[in-house]
Amino acid sequence: MKSPKLCFAGQSAKSSESVSAKLSRTVVLVAGLMTALALVAAACGNDDDGNAADVPTQTDSGGSEAPASKSAPAGAVSGRVTISGSSTVEPISVRVAELFEDVEPDVAVTVDGPGTGDGFQLFCAGETDISGASRQIKDSEAEACAEAGVEWVELRVGIDGIAVMTGENNPVECVSFNDIYGLLGPESAGFGSWSDAGSLGLETSNLPDASLDIYGPGEESGTFDSFIEIVLEDVADERGQDVTTRPDYNANGNDNVIIQGIQSSDTSFGWVGFAFAAHASGVKLLDVDGGDGCVSADADNIASGEYPVSRSLYIYVNKARADDSEAVTAYVDYYMSDDGLGTAVGDVGYVNLTDNAKADTRASWADR
Amino acid sequence: MAKARLVGHRTSKVMAQAMERRTADVRGRVFQMSLLTTLLISLFILGVLIVDVAIDAWGVLTGRPGGFLSGTMRSLSDDPKLGVHQALVGTFWIAVFVAVLAFPVGIGAAIWLEEYAPKNRFTRFIELNIRNLAGVPSVVYGLLGLFLFVEGLGGITGGKSIASAGITLAILVLPIVVITAQEAIRAVPQELKEGAYGVGATKWTMIRSQVLPYAAPGVLTGTLLSMSRGIGEAAPLLLVGAVSGRLGTNPGFFDLSAINAEAFMAMPVIIVEWVQSSGRDPGFAEAAAAAIVVLLVFVILMNAAAILMRNHFEKKRG
Repeated sequence: MKSPKLCFAGQSAKSSESVSAKLSRTVVLVAGLMTALALVAAACGNDDDGNAADVPTQTDSGGSEAPASKSAPAGAVSGRVTISGSSTVEPISVRVAELFEDVEPDVAVTVDGPGTGDGFQLFCAGETDISGASRQIKDSEAEACAEAGVEWVELRVGIDGIAVMTGENNPVECVSFNDIYGLLGPESAGFGSWSDAGSLGLETSNLPDASLDIYGPGEESGTFDSFIEIVLEDVADERGQDVTTRPDYNANGNDNVIIQGIQSSDTSFGWVGFAFAAHASGVKLLDVDGGDGCVSADADNIASGEYPVSRSLYIYVNKARADDSEAVTAYVDYYMSDDGLGTAVGDVGYVNLTDNAKADTRASWADR
Repeated sequence: MAKARLVGHRTSKVMAQAMERRTADVRGRVFQMSLLTTLLISLFILGVLIVDVAIDAWGVLTGRPGGFLSGTMRSLSDDPKLGVHQALVGTFWIAVFVAVLAFPVGIGAAIWLEEYAPKNRFTRFIELNIRNLAGVPSVVYGLLGLFLFVEGLGGITGGKSIASAGITLAILVLPIVVITAQEAIRAVPQELKEGAYGVGATKWTMIRSQVLPYAAPGVLTGTLLSMSRGIGEAAPLLLVGAVSGRLGTNPGFFDLSAINAEAFMAMPVIIVEWVQSSGRDPGFAEAAAAAIVVLLVFVILMNAAAILMRNHFEKKRG
């Protein structure tokens, strides 16, 4: 029994040697390829280091407007800031973080945008420092925060108009709140033509008999909430209806998909945040009559509050985190400066608050 | 017998007719042409896709290739620091996780199933399930990752981290690795195995010295292709929690602390994000196209590695 085994042991040692030699060569090959790939990408990396040099000049231009008394000297702060919340506010917070990076390169600001409601869930569970919101906090959300012992300060940072849109060749120029209710309200389920809006007995404009394809955000979206609150709520209450939309429209959480839908037909109808609509081609932004005549959707009309379908954008800051973390304080201070409330808000397509409103926001932050 | 004769009879008749006819084989030609057409259609679609993406990406990739590879997520598409570095690091480490976790486990399972497992109901049940798992939509794996690795094992994985994403994708490709490795192992000629037994090899020696070297090229090709598929997945990563707006840190490729840091980015997700942002800022469409090209090159490099290694093993096999 033993001798064949022994004989075989020698053989197997030999063969295992050749296998392991092969294996090690393979490992070298794989490792070599991976390293080569990594080096190619890493070699061109880390340009960011050079930014430290910009710090002094940037500090002078920014931050001075902020209630800067509490912030440490520039470049001295490090830490993390975690932001979640509205996808509408997300670009502003990201832009502020990018400008802030030049002042305080050691603060790592991470911004996510799952939605206002999801954001408050995380915020009230203490998982985020700041939450963006495209509406004010709901009572139920405030209760959840209170139960968890999370105290917050609400800061209004900008204004977003909601654009009401159609295909670019649609002859319709202006819609009233009644028209929108007739096209989109809870009683309009099944309406396939624009002219059906008149059949509810409301006073409506003269709408064409043309097919009606509606695209808009779904119920989970802050834009949906704001839109029904601003446009549909009063009419629906008067008529004793639920404050919601008809169920049969193309709902999508992605603003880009909504715009594509509206582009796809000349007689489409839909709504989306002004920031997204302003740059879109192939769509027409309708004027809206909120009771005081038709007003076109442009930045001036939105800032002045004349355009009836607009909403304020907020950030909610966890007070305890702001007290404990220099990074959070410094970031919000910067948010409150002209670089934040002015430059950043404008850069990403939203409308700046008026000077008085900015002063109010800064006061809320200073008095927290 | 009668049936066989009938078939044979019919065949010979058909052959005889065909030989007498002497006309061109019209049906055969039509069939051949239609096959060629299907090939051309798929090539055409692929070509249009690649050309379209390459045209969109051209400006970014030729204008500032280094800046794009080293840059980070930004809010504006014309930002000179816009780039894919964070996402590339994420995808690189996710690929490493897949290779380290899915390959040994998958190949091991395949060897057991092919060489050791008794051919009974239980084994067949397992194989059936592996095949079904290979067809499960990737989002489902994302949910699994969210509950198991982000929430359940958050203490180890760091929550919404590269580690969680990597493990999730490793599990996603595992069934495919098992199946492809099984096919490769099954293709090892029976004579080789019998030869090894004939000189007195034990089962393990036979597997190590005959089966594995012979099956290596096939196993390798299959596993690396499945990894290419895995790193292109966006849906599970969105569920596991890739950030959408800004990742505060920009770690280097070999910064190991980034692996279980609570926030990550990956190439497929940055593509999704930028396509969405193009509604707000149309320039992001170009950035998204450029990111697609970068991901394609990454995958092609990985496949090239697979081909090189396969050739290497094939030469060894002789």
